[in-house]
Amino acid sequence: MHEGSITIRLSADVHEIERLNRLVRHFGELHEIPSRALYAVNLALDEVVTNVVLHGYENSEGQEVKVRMETNGEDLRSEVEDGGREFNPLNAPLPDLTAALDERALGGLGIHLVRSLMDRVEYRREGSKNVLTMRKRFR
Amino acid sequence: MQIKEDKQGDVMVVTVTEHLDSATSSIFESRLLGLVERGERRIVVDCGLLDYVNSAGLKVFLLAAKRLEPLGGKLVLCALAPSVLMIFEMIGFTRIMKITATREDALQVLRGDAPAV
Repeated sequence: MHEGSITIRLSADVHEIERLNRLVRHFGELHEIPSRALYAVNLALDEVVTNVVLHGYENSEGQEVKVRMETNGEDLRSEVEDGGREFNPLNAPLPDLTAALDERALGGLGIHLVRSLMDRVEYRREGSKNVLTMRKRFR
Repeated sequence: MQIKEDKQGDVMVVTVTEHLDSATSSIFESRLLGLVERGERRIVVDCGLLDYVNSAGLKVFLLAAKRLEPLGGKLVLCALAPSVLMIFEMIGFTRIMKITATREDALQVLRGDAPAV
């Protein structure tokens, strides 16, 4: 396992998610991140960035989402920064996982996955930016 | 993502492959819900070649299962990769959806069901 970091700049466009996923996996393979941890981080970043792109902007044209990943050989820290409307996903209501099929709500699945997959998730508002940081330990 | 349909008796087997994500889930949604609209009531989704699903894809399975239930139909998923099954467990879908290890098991579950009225 190796130390390293990467910064990825994405247009706020849902078609950029595939590029993000490829870069995340590539980074993980280069740094020998265990595959379970990499899968979790890949999915969590997908969920967070998709949400920003789809719901963060009045008009997403020309907007950019910045993703940074860093590993020290023990954990993988990721950060998503966007200039969209103020939104703390940690305040979103959690789905009722015990509800019967006909009562299960369709929303809230993504953020529930993020919280479940990551060891730590933190949100902060920095000027006009939303910054979400996530940490996944792998040793 | 690729989608294939294969009718086996009164069971429709749908195979979905590779990535089910925000870019592809709307296509899968219209295919799967389209089958329900056209009268399919017993549907298997074979996930044996599905290696990635995000919440947009998960929502499609939930929608289809919810739509089939009041119609007397049933959705059964089979052959989920361990990483995909982990996500289904995490989101609580293993409690509300029938998931089997193999396609044969899924077919058996649906054929054993009483006919839909």
